[in-house]
Amino acid sequence: MAHSLSDECTPLKHKYDSCFNAWFEGYLEPAMNVSADPQQRESYSKQKAAEYEEKCGKIWEDYRLCVQKAVKDKGLDTLLQQAREENPLTEPPPVDKSSSPSPNS
Amino acid sequence: MKIFTQSFLYDDPWSIVSLAFFLRYPNPYAAHVTSCDVISRDFTPSGTLVTTRLILKRGSLPRWAPQGIISRAESWVIEESEVDPFGQVVKCKTKNLDHVKVMQVEEHVHFCQTPEGHTLQTTEARIVSGFGWGLTKRIENHGLTRFKANVQRSREGVSLILNLLRQSRLQPMALGEADVPTPLPQGHTDAANAHQRQASAEQNPPPVGTWSRLKQWLRP
Repeated sequence: MAHSLSDECTPLKHKYDSCFNAWFEGYLEPAMNVSADPQQRESYSKQKAAEYEEKCGKIWEDYRLCVQKAVKDKGLDTLLQQAREENPLTEPPPVDKSSSPSPNS
Repeated sequence: MKIFTQSFLYDDPWSIVSLAFFLRYPNPYAAHVTSCDVISRDFTPSGTLVTTRLILKRGSLPRWAPQGIISRAESWVIEESEVDPFGQVVKCKTKNLDHVKVMQVEEHVHFCQTPEGHTLQTTEARIVSGFGWGLTKRIENHGLTRFKANVQRSREGVSLILNLLRQSRLQPMALGEADVPTPLPQGHTDAANAHQRQASAEQNPPPVGTWSRLKQWLRP
């Protein structure tokens, strides 16, 4: 597991990553038919979310607070905020191969 | 603007490729990744999982780059992903947060399960420089060349983790150090060893799932 951006948070991050990864492995393989109806999916999702909260919720909270503080201390919060406002991560427009070159190329 | 697209087919099912993708840092092919943090993680009403990660990558500048073009050769990258275990799709978008005027790279990666039970990865990158001074095109071309090389390395990193996961699933018993597979590329062993040394400092509870066994291998 990679380091945290703050040395102080690295032990918390490793603890959280271990917890999340163990849970995530099961989340990726729903113990139900892929063609299950939406209602079944919803109750399954709720169950997995509750399981995550129960297992990793507390560790996540500790880690999150640590990282949040580190992000602020390094002045990254404004960078993140700007990035989200100026250029939100959205799906790219479809690539139109036949169109004329873009203004920059 | 330069656009790069590529697709790649993994033989393995979607769930294991997706797990490998999320576990890809650190790996010897990604020694430039200095840190990686989850800054938010939420469930959507439809049951998908949305994660935002903040990653610090070390970079290097081309020789022709003007002095002081950027103050330091490292870059913060934001990664936003959505995992849909029912639709068997991972969507992941990344872009750099700083040096955006010099060059903005936005990458979209999708992993989806094929009807045959394999995994199709599609990658699309958009590389834009707003630098001007007659360097825009050169910077974009450089970015594209670097991106192409990195896409290959990144896939090798995922494949390495995938291999470890696959082997750990084949063998249900927790394994000793002698069984640790070491498909590490030459020249990167130092980074890997450093990681193992660093990782071995931690103590963990007894293993349960594949992830725990993998972790044991990574931390003999």
